[in-house]
Amino acid sequence: MQRNRVFPAVTAAALAVGMLAACSDSDDGTSGPVTIKLLEYQQARADVVEKLIPRFESAMAEQGKDIQVELVTDPLTDDQFRTKITQQFHSGTAPDVVDMGGSHVTGFAGAGYLLQLDEYLNEWPTWEKYYSAVKQKAEQVDGHYYSLPHEASVQSLFYRKDVLEEMGIDTSQPQTWDELIGRLKKVTAETGKPSIVIPAGTAWGAGTWSEGFLPIVAGTDSTFYDREAGKWTLESDGLSATFDLYAELTKAGLLPTQALLNPNPWEPTKYKQFPEGTLPVAAQGTWGWRYDWGPNGAAPIKNVKDKVATWNYPALTPGGEPYSISGGGYNYGVNAETENPDAAVELVKWLSSDKAAAEQLTAIGAAAPHPGISDVEPYKSQPTLLDAEAKLEDSIVAPEGDGNTRVSQAVQSATESILLGKADGAEAASAFAQDAAELLGENLVAK
Amino acid sequence: MLPLLLGPSVLLIAVFVIAPAVYGIYLGFTNTQLTGFAARDPDFVGLDNYQNLLTSDEFLGSLGHTAQFVFFSAIIGQTILGMAAALLLRKKWLRGKGLFGAAILLPMVVPEVVASLTWASVLSPRDEGTFNRLIGLFGGASAAPLQEAPMLSIIIVNIWRGIALAMIMFQAALEDVPDELIEAARVDGAGAMRVFRYVTLPLIRGPVFLYLLLTTITTVGVFGLVYFLTQGGPGSATQLTSIYIYQHAFQYSQIGLGSAASVILLALLLVLGLTYVRLSKVEV
Amino acid sequence: MATAATLEKSTATVRKPHRRMSRVMAVRQAMQYVLIVLLALFCLVPFAWMVLSAVDAQAGPTVQSPEFTLDNFVRFFTKADTPRLLANSLLISVSATALNLACGIFGAYALSRIRFRGRKTFMFSILLIRVIPPPATIVALYLMMVKMSLDNSYLGLILVEAAAALPVTLWLLKGAIDAIPFELEEAAWMDGSTRFGAIRKIVFPLVGPGLGAAALIAFMAVWGDFLTPLVLLQSPDLYPLSIGLFRAFTAFNQVDWGVLAASAVIYMTPPAILYGFLRRYLFRASIGSAVKG
Repeated sequence: MQRNRVFPAVTAAALAVGMLAACSDSDDGTSGPVTIKLLEYQQARADVVEKLIPRFESAMAEQGKDIQVELVTDPLTDDQFRTKITQQFHSGTAPDVVDMGGSHVTGFAGAGYLLQLDEYLNEWPTWEKYYSAVKQKAEQVDGHYYSLPHEASVQSLFYRKDVLEEMGIDTSQPQTWDELIGRLKKVTAETGKPSIVIPAGTAWGAGTWSEGFLPIVAGTDSTFYDREAGKWTLESDGLSATFDLYAELTKAGLLPTQALLNPNPWEPTKYKQFPEGTLPVAAQGTWGWRYDWGPNGAAPIKNVKDKVATWNYPALTPGGEPYSISGGGYNYGVNAETENPDAAVELVKWLSSDKAAAEQLTAIGAAAPHPGISDVEPYKSQPTLLDAEAKLEDSIVAPEGDGNTRVSQAVQSATESILLGKADGAEAASAFAQDAAELLGENLVAK
Repeated sequence: MLPLLLGPSVLLIAVFVIAPAVYGIYLGFTNTQLTGFAARDPDFVGLDNYQNLLTSDEFLGSLGHTAQFVFFSAIIGQTILGMAAALLLRKKWLRGKGLFGAAILLPMVVPEVVASLTWASVLSPRDEGTFNRLIGLFGGASAAPLQEAPMLSIIIVNIWRGIALAMIMFQAALEDVPDELIEAARVDGAGAMRVFRYVTLPLIRGPVFLYLLLTTITTVGVFGLVYFLTQGGPGSATQLTSIYIYQHAFQYSQIGLGSAASVILLALLLVLGLTYVRLSKVEV
Repeated sequence: MATAATLEKSTATVRKPHRRMSRVMAVRQAMQYVLIVLLALFCLVPFAWMVLSAVDAQAGPTVQSPEFTLDNFVRFFTKADTPRLLANSLLISVSATALNLACGIFGAYALSRIRFRGRKTFMFSILLIRVIPPPATIVALYLMMVKMSLDNSYLGLILVEAAAALPVTLWLLKGAIDAIPFELEEAAWMDGSTRFGAIRKIVFPLVGPGLGAAALIAFMAVWGDFLTPLVLLQSPDLYPLSIGLFRAFTAFNQVDWGVLAASAVIYMTPPAILYGFLRRYLFRASIGSAVKG
């Protein structure tokens, strides 16, 4: 995967020497000096992994394996990351290991950019113990695994307990969206400001899909993606109800539409108004506890454990029950063209186990993907994360498959037109169906 | 001798300018993608991409946005203000020509990323944004121009950037208009507007028309200035065709569709370009 | 003809006393001063944030009176990644300009001095190439560059940038060489110079101003380019300032406004200075050949 360049980076020469040496005795793969490039695109993840790398290297040295890890830190938004890593995979310059959100894996696996990991995983005892929700989420349409999920996340509605209690608003689990909307309207009536942020529109990018839309639509009875057939159903009661919900929230002034239409919509909402308490409810994954609002997060909330709590998603369609939904956890993907697949897999397995995993999960704010970490510090003393882990087994898994980035794109524009007041729920639903069908092409759409 | 002298230039242009244009035409007939299962072996899909584009509200909308952007910023705004600047800076009695000239040139000289960055601060929705401070002076309430009037905002930004080019072109053209002719008309009592309309304009009609074609062509190619500020949003309110192409080809990795859109844009511009080359009567 | 007639008519009827006219003139002059001042302010005011924030210890995303410091510039040059952006921009722009001029001057010489078949068509074609906007070829260009293993490298970007600016350079330099009397070269041949020797002795020194203008136009185009490096480069190590600034502006969590403003000032300085120096030549040259600079 290394190519000639006329102006080689200073490290490239050293790297090439390493590669040559690796090639010369690549029969047993892992015994020679080997360098693995690992890409992290969130600063917080890079910071914690950077500290772990020397420990991994010495752990490997003890086993007689000479593996060096070169960490590539490149802070990017989700969309920037996808654009860029796609280009790198396409041109064969991607790093050996890429840490990424689960929804990115599908497209890359489909294109053949990621190494199939089935054999490695089957030989790894920990894999058997993985929570089924996590495994299910990582399994691709063809029934194979192309990534190692190293964290789990439960998507919930985070709310400011302190703020709502002070306003005298019920904080028990809302059973239906109607019930929740009733409470939100009270908040908005009092503050004159929006009261819930759900990622929506184009500016939020992939988050509009994975953190906003998918968790809601997955809680309805309607099939959205049929794994067996590998097809998307683009018109259903569930979809209509979901778009209607967005329209209702927009119309009642409960969603911060102006902020959602801005570039970097998470800044005014999740990083400013939620911590201030002026926007008391947010649809959010487990990482909110640390990555967003933890002591070292993007916008720390003091005593976040006392001030913030979570609800499950209320039922949207009649007869439903409140539910939590898993998703959003990060996965390690191994480049299909890596020179050192064995060493790369060693690295991702090590990072997903024991102390290394416990430290990452705590830093980011994620639930453990398998039960083996709950008694390891510092994860052990994180009640909010342990609580999320406990919910994993009962959580819904939203099926996704080939074409998810296109469906995501159609969802982004459809929800955007609602935010702009250009469409009501029904109009957005039909625009979505048409748009998505166009983008997916005939093969991926259920008739 | 000839190949030795001209060869390197021809080679560079052929490989890095002509070949991509031709290759783009080919790609436009395929469903080439960079992710998903379809990325593994792209198929020839005939005119599918074109059919999709020409029935897609989003793409047609982007053409409409581009037309609006070109018409109001380049053809109306830059031309009028550039002409005003050129005429004013010709006045013999005007002091500080050099300073005024330099001020007007600055927006054109700075890189486009810097231009966008400065305007991001002007148009900031915060109360402290330059624009909001200015309207605050007149008692106006704070606004979020990039959300509330996105198209108008980027049109103003592009006018700002392009006044200088119009001014330079018109200054050169005005050099061919003898001062005596204008003074004679003025002495005879004709108003400034009339002089401009009946004396000056007829004499510089040719260069003005050429400028209009040229600025149209270059404004269609504007990408960074707008992408930096709005990334095509909110919604698709400022999604110019150039941004449509970038987003679809790279962010959504639909290379085939993006290429077909490029070809459509190219075809439109070649028509304008041929007109320009024919009319400019450049000496070869 | 009609205009001349109207004019004559108006001059015959509208004749005002001289004194009143001068007062009208004074008012008119004042109004025109106001107009040009407003125009200049419109052009300058947007820069206020950048200039003020670059020297503000507490810089934010909007204008405010600064707490003066030069620390932002110090940090620009001492931070881990920012000096590299400047170095990359310089490396890419200087190399691309040099390559562009090296190809351009010989090409232009051929176009000016050698009458070959298809010369006219060639000149018109490269003029036409100028109308191709970069966004219309960037997609295919990217795929081609990947196939040639030239993506994500200095070399690839330099080649593309040099080629993109070539049509203008060829036009400019051809015009400049046309203006040098051929007899001078012939005289040099008489004195025993080879053809290349004559080019070196006669053409190079005399083409100076044209070369300066071409260099400036090429340099500014490469220096300011955003789209091409955005698409072709993926390694932060290779990023020029344009991409660095964009990435800093859209940073996920926090933007260091002070350093961002200082970077912008540093980024706009070279073209602004060069432009000041070469302005006179530039206008003459760019207008003479009817191409946009």
